[in-house]
Amino acid sequence: MSTIGKDSTLKHVSSSPHLRDSITTGGVMFNVIIGLIPLTIVGIGHFGLSSALVIIASILSCMVTEYVFDLICHRPNTLYDGSAILTGLLMALCLPPSVPLYCPVAGGIFAILFGKCFFGGLGQNFMNPALAGRAFLLISFGKVMTDYSYDAVTGATPLAVLGNGGSVNVLRMFLGLEMGHIGASVICIIIGGIWLIVSDTISWEIPVASIVSFIIFMAAFGEKGMDPMFIAAHIVGGGFMLGAFFMATDPVTSPMTWSGQLIFGCLYGFLSAIFRCFGSMADSSTYAIIIANLAVPLIDLMPVPQPFGIGKKGASVIPSVEEMNAPKKSGIAIPPSAIVLTLITVVAGGALAGVNMMTSERIAENNLAKALEAYESVVPTADTFEYDDDVTAQIEEMKEAGYYADGAFGKAYINEAVQAVDASGNVVGYAINCSSMEGYDGEIALSVGFDTEGTVIGISFTTLTETAGMGMLVDTDDWKAQFANVKVDSFTLNKAGGSTADNEIDSVSGASTTSGAVVNAVNAAIDFYNNYLIAG
Amino acid sequence: MGIYSFRGGVHPKGYKELTADKPLVEYLPKGELVFPLSQHLGKPAIPVVKRNDLVKVGQLIAKADGFISANIHSSVSGKVKIIEHRPNNAGIMGESIVIINDGEYTPFEGVGEKTDYERLTPREIIDKVKEAGIVGLGGAGFPTYVKLMPQKPEDIRWIVANGAECEPGITCDDRLMQENPEQIVEGLKIVLRIFPTAKAVIAIETNKPKAIESMRRAVGNDPRFEILELKVKYPQGGERNLVHAVSGQYMESGALPASLGVIVDNVATLAAIYKAVALNTPLYERGLTVTGDGASNPGNYIVKFGTLASEFVNDDEGLKPGTKKIILGGPMMGVAIPNTDVPLEKRNNALTCFLEDDVEKAQQKLTNCIRCGKCIRVCPLGLYPQMMAEAAEKKDYERFIKVHGLDCIQCGTCNYACPAKRPLTQLFKQMKPAAMMYQRAKAAKEGKK
Repeated sequence: MSTIGKDSTLKHVSSSPHLRDSITTGGVMFNVIIGLIPLTIVGIGHFGLSSALVIIASILSCMVTEYVFDLICHRPNTLYDGSAILTGLLMALCLPPSVPLYCPVAGGIFAILFGKCFFGGLGQNFMNPALAGRAFLLISFGKVMTDYSYDAVTGATPLAVLGNGGSVNVLRMFLGLEMGHIGASVICIIIGGIWLIVSDTISWEIPVASIVSFIIFMAAFGEKGMDPMFIAAHIVGGGFMLGAFFMATDPVTSPMTWSGQLIFGCLYGFLSAIFRCFGSMADSSTYAIIIANLAVPLIDLMPVPQPFGIGKKGASVIPSVEEMNAPKKSGIAIPPSAIVLTLITVVAGGALAGVNMMTSERIAENNLAKALEAYESVVPTADTFEYDDDVTAQIEEMKEAGYYADGAFGKAYINEAVQAVDASGNVVGYAINCSSMEGYDGEIALSVGFDTEGTVIGISFTTLTETAGMGMLVDTDDWKAQFANVKVDSFTLNKAGGSTADNEIDSVSGASTTSGAVVNAVNAAIDFYNNYLIAG
Repeated sequence: MGIYSFRGGVHPKGYKELTADKPLVEYLPKGELVFPLSQHLGKPAIPVVKRNDLVKVGQLIAKADGFISANIHSSVSGKVKIIEHRPNNAGIMGESIVIINDGEYTPFEGVGEKTDYERLTPREIIDKVKEAGIVGLGGAGFPTYVKLMPQKPEDIRWIVANGAECEPGITCDDRLMQENPEQIVEGLKIVLRIFPTAKAVIAIETNKPKAIESMRRAVGNDPRFEILELKVKYPQGGERNLVHAVSGQYMESGALPASLGVIVDNVATLAAIYKAVALNTPLYERGLTVTGDGASNPGNYIVKFGTLASEFVNDDEGLKPGTKKIILGGPMMGVAIPNTDVPLEKRNNALTCFLEDDVEKAQQKLTNCIRCGKCIRVCPLGLYPQMMAEAAEKKDYERFIKVHGLDCIQCGTCNYACPAKRPLTQLFKQMKPAAMMYQRAKAAKEGKK
């Protein structure tokens, strides 16, 4: 070197730019956590100490898992990026408030390991870790995961009530005062969501697209069409809003471009609506987001960037001098992709709504015919079936209160009760349609026929979607015959088989859950018969 | 015209207030002067002086080598000490002419002579600009006379004076517009003589109300002039965005603005054109902002080329203790230098000193890409930096070209905004030349078949 000047201490050199925005990955995660604080506080305030324990267990489980994984795999400690805390908190917020603590612990381990670490850590995971954890828990511990009772308060979640055609208090759901998972307060979710958008942590595309498409598809597929209260109840019910603002917007597992985000949001809204209307579980936002997550790599490949000026038509037309001096046209240019997307959404939504409208009447007719057929098969001597308005009103009231007899028969409902009348006008018996929500795959509905003495004539299933070859075997004449022509106060399930007593029912081998649900439902019907039909 | 803006961009912390009120002060160099032969885009110039030759202010000391190159003139009077390799501001050693200043500043014959440019033909104006060694003073250093010779001069509709000065901290163009607006306006008038049907547009960010006011006054009622106000954000001064702002048209990648009837020149370049054509003064000095929280005497100076940066800031003076980084240029696109033993030349508009090194701090917070898409939202060209980076990390040239990586202008916007602190711009700087070579090799191979 020919010149070693006065300036002997060397300064830092690096590639430009030499400035960095203050936001960091940890900062992004921290912003989301701040957005969740109101929700967490309201959740703990409403559900009590047990929910606080669930949250703490979940967060600790996630953090410890990540720390240990990093340690074992000789990876740099990544706890400081805050994503483990966020995963733990998010997962806890969609758990029932008094779930046994092994659930959040196991879920946290699964979420961090299988949802994140095994794919290369934050940024490489393809599905939302918190939801991976929740899905794992739903499959593994289905029973406790769907038991939303807390502080000795039991009953049906608003969504379950909605699913059975009951009515719910939308305002209480909005405030988060109904039964449900810990983070159920929609008003807090919206406050947190607005904070996220204002602080530029998430963009508006995903929440807006998902809510709009959810409304469209819910109106198309839901049994009540455009009824605002029905749609409002579905929006504020379950985990949909939490998903729309906090889960689907997870940057790692959502598309990066704004058009991709719109598509992704629409997909989430669509799947949620489908699962709500036709799925077996009351709330399936979890699966809706996970499935939408799987589409993200594809969505991201779809829009090849259109850089400033590339491929614009007429790019090298130079105006004449006169044109140049003419006043310029002004106006807001709408990107063509936005128009195309909107059109696709409208056309798809319209087509689906049309198909649904054409078929919904037919479906309703079919359902009616099916119900009638079931009544006829359980009270064969009847000619017509009549409704008693008082009894119908009574049933409606009980449904709104929650499970029949406060859950004395498990998660059972009485759906309908009718009087069987023969050709000469004499009452020959009664038929009760009831359901148990505790089948292996959710609801099992059946009709039970009684004669005027209270003897069960027979049963017939109206809804049965159990496992083929196992649970479905309850729908055999032999098995159903166990209930026929017996007059008892209640049946009991004999899991071992070989029953001799009248009131014992042999379980279908390998399907005791299904068998038990059926027995519970029949017992609820008998109870209803004894207490309301005869006594009333 | 309303206030023009574009989609994307960022708002880096500005510290223009450090120097916005500091007038341009002429600085006289104390030590020897070093003139790198490469102070512009293109081939280095060829020395026309020898050791021990006597030179005067404004005298040609190296002449342009070829079409894309530029003349270099001495900024002082004195003696040529030696022609040898010295560190230049690209961080490498480059051939340079070293001149010992005699302190007299004797002008070369003819320098400073007034000329009535109204009588010059376009050809003569272009020749004068070429002789004066004028290059783009915004930072790229592209020879200006080449820009003034488009294939179809009759198609030029707009001459844009770029006074956006969107780089944080730099205020020398702002001061120039406030102090010598007539130089810029005269410069524009000279260029308009080459393109009589064109309109002159002066583009300024709205955070320089004084400059806007001053330019308005200088322009007066001349109907050929227009002031275009730009929204304050980085990188508002990008050529493509300016071309779109005035013409409403999008520039194809690889195209020159002239193909859309636009010529963009920095305001300082236009002032230099005025001095070269009307005052017969070649380009040997320019405005420089010394700023940053590490500079103890922030200010604006008129610096003679060849002056060593160490005359402004070194460990003994000009720097606050603990200064970690010195940047030639602004913080977004400037070049960090390990020490200040480098000469200031045509492309240097600022000397920025920082007590804190953001890059060093960011490195400690480096995480995986979290795919937040912020880089995509801020890119002024609508590129997908995340996908470009993915391709660059894998050295996947095909993919890099497919996602239009070659269109990147390396403005650093994505890199600034990235929460995961990925070194995006650095990746693109490495990848772009490699991908271009790949593209050429591929084209040659296909040509053979």
